[in-house]
Amino acid sequence: MSDVAAVQLRGVSKRFDDVTAVDAVVLDIRDGEFFSLLGPSGCGKTTTLRMIAGLEFPTSGSISVFGEQMHLRPPNKRPVNTVFQSYALFPHMTVHDNVAFGLQMRRLGRDEVRRRVGDALELVQLTGREQRRPNQLSGGQQQRVALARALVNEPKVLLLDEPLGALDLKLRQAMQLELKDLQSRVGITFVYVTHDQEEALTMSDRIGVMDAGRLLQVGTPEDIYERPTSPMVADFIGDTNLLTATVKGDGQIALDDAQIVHAETREPAGSRIVLTLRPERLHLAATDDDVDPGHNALDATVTRRVYLGNAVTYDVRSGEVTLRVRQRNAPGRGQFAVGEAVQVHWASGSAVVVAR
Amino acid sequence: MAQTLVPGPEAPSGGSALEDRAARARSRTGLWIALPPAVYLVLLFAMPLLIVFVYSFATRGSSGQTILADWNVAAYTRLFNPLVREIAVRSVGYALLTTAICLAVSYPFAYYLATRALRVRNVLLVLVMIPFWSNFLVRTYAWRLLLSSSGPLSQLTELIGLGQTRLLFTPVAVVLGLVYGYMPFMILPLYAAIERIDLGLVEAARDLYASGTRAFWRVTWPLSRPGVIAGSILVFIPSLGAYVTPEILGGSKTTMLGSYIVRQFLSARDWPFGSALSFVVMAAMLAATLLYFRTGGRTL
Repeated sequence: MSDVAAVQLRGVSKRFDDVTAVDAVVLDIRDGEFFSLLGPSGCGKTTTLRMIAGLEFPTSGSISVFGEQMHLRPPNKRPVNTVFQSYALFPHMTVHDNVAFGLQMRRLGRDEVRRRVGDALELVQLTGREQRRPNQLSGGQQQRVALARALVNEPKVLLLDEPLGALDLKLRQAMQLELKDLQSRVGITFVYVTHDQEEALTMSDRIGVMDAGRLLQVGTPEDIYERPTSPMVADFIGDTNLLTATVKGDGQIALDDAQIVHAETREPAGSRIVLTLRPERLHLAATDDDVDPGHNALDATVTRRVYLGNAVTYDVRSGEVTLRVRQRNAPGRGQFAVGEAVQVHWASGSAVVVAR
Repeated sequence: MAQTLVPGPEAPSGGSALEDRAARARSRTGLWIALPPAVYLVLLFAMPLLIVFVYSFATRGSSGQTILADWNVAAYTRLFNPLVREIAVRSVGYALLTTAICLAVSYPFAYYLATRALRVRNVLLVLVMIPFWSNFLVRTYAWRLLLSSSGPLSQLTELIGLGQTRLLFTPVAVVLGLVYGYMPFMILPLYAAIERIDLGLVEAARDLYASGTRAFWRVTWPLSRPGVIAGSILVFIPSLGAYVTPEILGGSKTTMLGSYIVRQFLSARDWPFGSALSFVVMAAMLAATLLYFRTGGRTL
């Protein structure tokens, strides 16, 4: 591990004609970390990755990899490799030749190429398939060839562009954990692009959330989930209730329908804010007496109930606002029917105040 | 690097028995659709070909009539005379040169075409096909004017002090005419092949340390080979058998097989020899085509 950032972006912007795909991104990715760029499609995360790879050049700003300026360096001269979204395996080459490609381009000796290709294929459990063509492999196998083809070069940074997107759910979940294991084993910095927040939370040491070309927040999965700094981040990561409100002072916050709740904030009185409440942090109670002491509580009516197996979600209406509540499906847990009058309550610390 | 990743599911197996049966049922209905063109081809292509084949074993009468008796292979033995060899070598040479020039000129253009926005592409494709809107014979005569010693090219070279150019009736004129005539047949299959190539593959090659040049030779070129092969065949074959172009733009020193065969039928009145020559040329083309497909078959 070195103190120098593995990847450093300084005011990186990319404009395509009059569309700004990436807008003044400043980011340090640390040596050896699993870093995810997370955001909805079209948010600029893939363009950012492609600029690190050298497949796009920034309109302005600078990119360096381990202190070396990558500015205007072509992709073949950069110490990074990419696992592409559609794998981009060479259809006219065998698995062996695909994996050997990067080593051959760097003119390594025949024996070393064979040894390293063998090792890389063993790593992804494709030994014995050297002579297959990509179209003779399943999606999962192709994905692993793509991984081996990049890792065999021992890049300083591995860039992954939604590499699991085309796999089915079970395989994807297994691959998420394996990728994370693999990353800590090889010790290479991974920069992982995904629109799947669960995937990002599962694998990442840190996550950068992007929207509309801007990097909104960078932090650990816990930071991002527990302490979002913008409504967009709160909304994008996991399910959440977003309530517009006004700070009243003394820890009091007035919802737009004039109901008063308590939450900590450093925003001055009178400022407009968004109150974010995670559905799993909200609770329902039949009567006032069942509300935990010190909790915020609102009178509400159940408007919808969805049974999910391991949980039950309720939509409840309180004044002008609708809240989603997620209750773990556990024995002894009260069940509520649509139309029933309830108390919706939560600990003050569960509500996160975000400036608008 | 000893530990391993999760094994993925095996590659899916091929079609089921039900799918096979459905495919067979579909193939039966296909027969009716294929029947009219099949009849057309048998009557107007296979039958005449058979007649040519039969005639090649017939005998030429003393006054040029063909005697359909006394079958022999004399016409075939005469193919080995030096004049035939000279003309054959020349024809193959011109056709190869034409193919090479067409390929060299068309590839960059087809690549450019395939990587443009769809709107630009369609405009350029129409431009490629515009020559087909006027008659080939007329266009070839236009070349005669362009290349003649009083034509614009000659005037230009004279103007800049290089003297008159006398290209008409030379091999240069013939190859130029052939290249001009068959270029679209090279461009279109090349375009179709290059257009299908995923540009992401070139990016992958660049990401894996290939320079632009090496990415081209290792990825783009091999993946465009079906187009190269199809285009080369579509240019080589008609160039080899060309008749109009060498007749109009060439001279007595540039006679090609097509003209020579026509001469056997129309002036020498030696139908068995003309038939034998036609047949051997066709067989050679077929053999060359099969060979070419075989060698390129891996990427098709």
